[in-house]
Amino acid sequence: MFLEFLFISSAVLTVSCALGVLVVKNIMHSCVFLLGSLMGVAGLYATLGADFVAVTQIMVYVGGVVILMLFAVMLTGGTDFISRAQNLLGLAPSMGNKWTYGMGLFVGVVFLLTNIKLLMGLTQTLPTKTINNEFPSTVTEIGHLLVKDHVLAFEISSVLLLGALVGAAIIARPRKQN
Amino acid sequence: MNQTVVSYLSKYEFYDYLLALFGNNQGVLAFTIYFLLALIIIGMCATIGGLGTYAERKISADLQARLGPNRVGPYGLLQMLADGVKMMTKEDIMPFTADKALFYLAPLLCLVGVFATLAVLPFAGGFIMADLNVGIFYLVAISSFVGLGVFLGGYASNSKWSMLGGMRGASQIISYEIPVTISILAIVLLAGGMGFGTIVGQQGGLPHQWFLFHNPFAFIAFFVYGVGALAETNRAPFDLPEAESELVSGYHTEYTGMRFGFFALAEYIEVFVVCGVAASLFLGGYNVPGITIDILPVQAAQFVIFMTKTLILYYVVIWIRWTLPRLRVDQLMSVCWKYLTPIAIFNLIGCAIWMVVFNGKSIAELVLGSH
Amino acid sequence: MIPAEFDGLMPVVIFMGLAVLLFFGGHFLSVALAPKKPSHLKSTPYECGELPVGSAWSMFNVRFYVVGLIFIIFDVESVLMFPVASIFRELNDMGQGGYALIIFLSFISVLIEGIAYCWRKGDLDWVKSFQHSLKKETK
Repeated sequence: MFLEFLFISSAVLTVSCALGVLVVKNIMHSCVFLLGSLMGVAGLYATLGADFVAVTQIMVYVGGVVILMLFAVMLTGGTDFISRAQNLLGLAPSMGNKWTYGMGLFVGVVFLLTNIKLLMGLTQTLPTKTINNEFPSTVTEIGHLLVKDHVLAFEISSVLLLGALVGAAIIARPRKQN
Repeated sequence: MNQTVVSYLSKYEFYDYLLALFGNNQGVLAFTIYFLLALIIIGMCATIGGLGTYAERKISADLQARLGPNRVGPYGLLQMLADGVKMMTKEDIMPFTADKALFYLAPLLCLVGVFATLAVLPFAGGFIMADLNVGIFYLVAISSFVGLGVFLGGYASNSKWSMLGGMRGASQIISYEIPVTISILAIVLLAGGMGFGTIVGQQGGLPHQWFLFHNPFAFIAFFVYGVGALAETNRAPFDLPEAESELVSGYHTEYTGMRFGFFALAEYIEVFVVCGVAASLFLGGYNVPGITIDILPVQAAQFVIFMTKTLILYYVVIWIRWTLPRLRVDQLMSVCWKYLTPIAIFNLIGCAIWMVVFNGKSIAELVLGSH
Repeated sequence: MIPAEFDGLMPVVIFMGLAVLLFFGGHFLSVALAPKKPSHLKSTPYECGELPVGSAWSMFNVRFYVVGLIFIIFDVESVLMFPVASIFRELNDMGQGGYALIIFLSFISVLIEGIAYCWRKGDLDWVKSFQHSLKKETK
């Protein structure tokens, strides 16, 4: 009963806020709608029993990414520059060059193929859920997996983050004006 | 498995009577119990928050050789009620340039972020509303709503003071989250779990069993946590977002009446929560010396012990506010990134090495022999 | 016994709901009790008595953004460290403490490298960020 309530409210929150992000003209308001959508996703994780992932979602996205987006909007002076575009096609040339469009097409194809692969499974019957009682909680399970099975991924992720940190620092560094 | 108040109460016989009373509907009964206890906890914390404003003025008056509030009620104790009534009857003013929707939303975000942390605060053994497996991690994550509320409050006002305060506040809150999180990681490492029940259960009632004196690194981590927590709650000497002598009052300059009251309430309850977390992570939490069983008189004693530790820390926080001058904004950032974060990482490594070398024993266990 | 579905999540949702209730309750009381005499001058943004010039939504310094970026990286690192830290004691009791320590330390050492790089390049300086890079380039 409670779980159904949580699921329905999270799902409604996710979808309606995601629509809000698209529809609203004010960029600050879309950031706040995005916050609601991300919270809804956290709620969905929580209904699935993935408490660690749900909290990670809140920690990284709500606490980090949304604030970063708000800062990024403030770099441009907030909502004094509300988009005045008439339609999507009129905007398209200014959104990138042929490389970005090529990349976009490639990503779109990969996304489509992944979705087809996922949707193919819908016709089959789902395997019965096996409950793993080996670990007392999901946190312990994730910890054991990170240390034992996926230790290489764990270590490489730190290198990836180092790369991201260095890249972020370089991009955001002020340059001398020539 | 997650322990909660309801699963704790279900061990007793009267739970079955209650269940029969609710027509064997587990969900409704659980909801009722949670709801009533949540009301009690919020009422208690709101009172503590209100008394916090009173204590703030009284202690500051004491430190500066003044009298402080003494007109309303005995010793001015009813001042908080007078303040509350005043806030409710103040006219609600919104700047005409403001972003109206976000102006309404900002105090709500602060309030939600602070109230949601109360769900995992361990008041006494068995009486943690929800002893989540991810307890302390959840608390750190959900309190980032406060930073968002501060930023949006500053932004939505569309006043220069508010905007500066909001930007400073958000960047300060997220920066100091790093040393705080890493200090907490050191304690998670020592305790072997993130749930508050596990963390408090690994400690004892007497000071030598606390994580504060577990090893030298944990001792330093406590102070790193303390400094970071002061900054995260925007308390002096880190009150740059609301520096009254330079930014009028920062992100809530344009807020009046009840909405200002919500900001203030959220701030004072957050200080309480932060002190409670410090007490349960480092100072042994609710443990009563020598007794570990959960029966009602012991739980009352546990509650008293937890509140005593927390309120002592609360006093220290106020004391610091009226003793130290404010930092400059560049000093603020260099304190965080160049001092606290490296020290916190050093502590984390130290704790990890200590765990392996001394097999998880504390100093006291090493000196006094095993147990 | 309590079904597992009620564990933990319900109090969190209830506390959030109560915060929203309290917020709207307070608003309702305020609307009912407070006087309402709006005037244009009253609702101008406060600027110490002067009439405000321009909007407060101006372009902000890039430093705030840099701080946000560095924060997110450290945030993700701490998220990854939490599960490992919480089983550290368990592994140590199982006699695998040395192995866990090596994994943990090699993870943290990369983190330290990152902070050392940012420190060296002056990205952690609040004021001198620009001057620092100028000094480097003119050398």
